[in-house]
Amino acid sequence: MINVNTDALAVIFPNTYDKYLPEMTSMRLMASIPFAGRYRLIDFLLSSMVNGGIDNVAILVTKNYHSLTDHLGSGREWDLARKYGGLNVFPPYAVESLGVYHGWIQGLESIRNYLVDQKERYVVISDSYIAMNFDFADMIEKHAESGADVTIAYKREPIPEELLENTDPSKGMYYTLDLNGKKVINININPKVEGDQNYSLDTFIVSREWLIRIIDEAYIRGDTFFVRDILGKRGAEFDIRAYEYTGYTARITGMRSYMKENMELLKEENLDALFSGNPVYTKIRDDNPTVYHGDTKASNVMVADGCEIQGEIENSILFRGVKIGKGAKVRNSILLQDTVIGDNVELDHVITDKGVTITASKSLRGSESFPVYIEKGKKI
Amino acid sequence: MGKEMIAMLLAGGQGSRLHVLTQKLAKPAVPFGGKYRIIDFPLSNCVNSGIDTVGILTQYQPLVLNEYIGNGQPWDLDRLHGGVHVLPPYQQASGSDWYKGTANAIYQNLSFIESYDPEYVIILSGDQICKQDYSDFLRFHKKKNAEFSVAVMEVPWEETHRFGLAVTREDDSIIEFQEKPKDPKSNLASMGIYIFNWDILKKYLIEDEADPNSENDFGNNIIPNLLKDGRRMYAYHFQGYWKDVGTIPALWEANMEVLDPEHSGINLFDDDWKVYSRNSGMHGHTVSADAVVRNSMITDGCRIKGTVRHSILFAGVTVEEGAVVEDAVIMGGTVIKKGAVVKHCIIAENVVIGEGAVVGEIPTDGGNGGVATIAAGVYVGDGAKISPDALIDENVKDGEVR
Repeated sequence: MINVNTDALAVIFPNTYDKYLPEMTSMRLMASIPFAGRYRLIDFLLSSMVNGGIDNVAILVTKNYHSLTDHLGSGREWDLARKYGGLNVFPPYAVESLGVYHGWIQGLESIRNYLVDQKERYVVISDSYIAMNFDFADMIEKHAESGADVTIAYKREPIPEELLENTDPSKGMYYTLDLNGKKVINININPKVEGDQNYSLDTFIVSREWLIRIIDEAYIRGDTFFVRDILGKRGAEFDIRAYEYTGYTARITGMRSYMKENMELLKEENLDALFSGNPVYTKIRDDNPTVYHGDTKASNVMVADGCEIQGEIENSILFRGVKIGKGAKVRNSILLQDTVIGDNVELDHVITDKGVTITASKSLRGSESFPVYIEKGKKI
Repeated sequence: MGKEMIAMLLAGGQGSRLHVLTQKLAKPAVPFGGKYRIIDFPLSNCVNSGIDTVGILTQYQPLVLNEYIGNGQPWDLDRLHGGVHVLPPYQQASGSDWYKGTANAIYQNLSFIESYDPEYVIILSGDQICKQDYSDFLRFHKKKNAEFSVAVMEVPWEETHRFGLAVTREDDSIIEFQEKPKDPKSNLASMGIYIFNWDILKKYLIEDEADPNSENDFGNNIIPNLLKDGRRMYAYHFQGYWKDVGTIPALWEANMEVLDPEHSGINLFDDDWKVYSRNSGMHGHTVSADAVVRNSMITDGCRIKGTVRHSILFAGVTVEEGAVVEDAVIMGGTVIKKGAVVKHCIIAENVVIGEGAVVGEIPTDGGNGGVATIAAGVYVGDGAKISPDALIDENVKDGEVR
C-alpha cells in the first residue's frame, strides 16, 4: 500500500468534549483519557491518521494539556517525529492577540499563519472523544473525487442515553445529518431523538484554501463554532457531503459510556473490530509481561503488560502496571494504570483512576449505570 | 571529547547447540522471558550503566538482529555521537574476511573504536542473561589500576569443570586461568565479560593479528599473552543472576527461573534496572471466562481460552479452548489449537500446534527430562505427538508421531 502521498494535514481539538467526563478531565483532557487497557483516546485518532498517510498533525490545546504532551512526547511512537510536519502542539497564547480559544474557529484563527505556510491541499479537522480505526485515506479520496467544500464523517448509530438525558447544551454539541443522497441538507444540533441517526463523527475534511478563507470571514462576521456558525448558518452557501463510516466506534460521552465502551471490548468480536486492520500505537512504557501467581483466578478479562495478579479478577479491564493483592476479588471494574489493590479487597463496578491505592480488606460496590469512580492518585 | 568507555558486544555466535531455534536468527536474537530477546539484557545493562556507545559484532543470520536493533531507539541508543551500531564483517582494500575469532572481530573494527577515542573498552557476550552494573565493574577496574579485568562469578566446586576459571591472589589479581580443568584451583568462573584499557587492547589485538598461529580468540590467545607479559590483571566478583543460555535445557530453565524471581534472583519487575525491548504494540491480553491461568507470565496480545500453568507466553500467543499449556515457553504469535497438550517444551515463534496434538511431557521422576523444541513457523498437525526429546524443524503431519 502506497499512501505516502495523502495530501492532507490534520488539526485536532483535544479539549472539545472535556465536559462530557468532568470526573476524569479535572487533571487531563478528553484526548488523554485512558481507554482499552493501554491506550489514550487520542492514540486511535493519531494512529488512524498516520496509517492513512497523514504525517503533519497540529493539536490545539486549551487547558490541562500536561498529560497529553507527556503522552505524545516528540510524536515518535506514532512515527510523527519528522523534519517536515510531524506533530505540533499549539498551546494557548501562541499568538499575542489571542488567548484560550473558544470554539474551533477561534482556535483555527490562532494557527492561521501556520496553515498558510503548509503545503498540503486538504485539512482534516477532528476532536478526540471517539475510539475508532478510521480509514482517512479513503475519506480523503472520496472528498477529493466529490469536489465538495466540506465532507463530514458519520455513522448510523443511536445517540448515547447520557446525551439524550442531558439538558445543559454547554456540555458540548453533537450533530446529526439530514441527507439527500450524499449531500448534507441540514445539520441538527443536540437533537433528542432515539434510534439510529446519521450521527456525526466530528471528523471533517476541507481544503486548506477554503479553510483560510472561512477563518478570515469568520473574524469579520464574529463566528465562533465551526459546525454551528459555519456549516449550520452558512450551510446553503457550501457543497457539504457526508461520508458514511461503518466500522467500530466507541464514543465516550460520560462515565456510563466509559464503563460500557471499555467492557464492550471484552467481547472478542468488538476487540477484533477495533484492532484488526491497522495497528494502534501508544507510548511505550517498557513494562515486563504480566505475572499471574499461584492462587489466581481470571475470567473474561483484558490485562495489559506490567500487572501482577495474586487474587481474582472477573469481567474487568486492567491497564498497565496494576497490582492485585492476595484474596482480592475484582469484578466488573476498570483499573487504570498503576492501581494497587490490597489483599482481600472486594471491588464491584469500580473505576480507579491512575495510581489509585485501595488498602487491604476494603470493599467498594457501584452499579452498571452508576460505577464508583476513584480519582487519580487517591489512597483509600 | 572521547568516551570514557564503550562496549563491544560479541553477537556472532551461530548457537549450534540451540540450532532448532537459531536456523534463521543469531543467538542473541533468540526470544527470552516473554517480551525480550537475549540481547536486550546486555544492551539494557549498557544504558542503565551509562554506556551510550555499543558496537554489535555480528556475522551469522544477521537479518532478524539488524532489524530488531534498528536505530537503537527502544534502548535509548539512538544518539548523535555514539549509539548502537551493528558491525558485520566488511570488504576492505586488503580483502574481506569473516570474523575468524572473537579477537579478530574486534580487530576488524579497531577504526570504529578509534573514532570514539575511549579510555576503556568493555567486551560483552551476547548469549547470557544477566543484569549487571558495568559502571561498578569499571570503578573496580580503575581502583585496581588494572589494564585488564574480567568479571567472575563463584560457582559450586562440583561444576567448575564446565567453566573457564580465574585463579586469583588475595587482592583479586589474576595468577592464571584454567579452562574446564579436572583439578580446579578456583571456583571463580569467567563470565566472558572483560574491561580493557584501550591502548592495551589495541596493542594486543594488533600483535595477535600478526601471529599466523593464533586462533584470534580472547580466551585462548589474548588473555594468555597478557598473563605472559605480566600485565595488571584483576578479577571482578559479580554477585547476582547470571546464566549462559547456550543450550536448549539452559534456555528453558532460565525462562522458568523468570517465573520464580524470589529463588532464582532474576527479577524483571525491577523499576530501577529496567530491561528494554522493542515492543509488540499489541493490545492487552485477554483471558476468557472458562480459562485458567496460574503461575505464569502473559504478554500483550495473547488470547487465552484454555489452561496455562507455570508457563511463559510471548506476545500474541493464542491458547484455544480445552488446550493445556504447562511448564512451557511459547514464543510470539504461536497458536495452540483446541485440545492440544503442550508441556515441558520450547515452542518458537509463529508455530501452529494442531487440534489435539501432544508436545512433550513433564518428566515423571522429577529429573531433567528432555525439552521438546519446535522451530519457528512449523506446523504440527492435528493429533500429532512430539516426544520429550524431539527437536522439530519441519512440519509434522496430522497424527504423525515424532
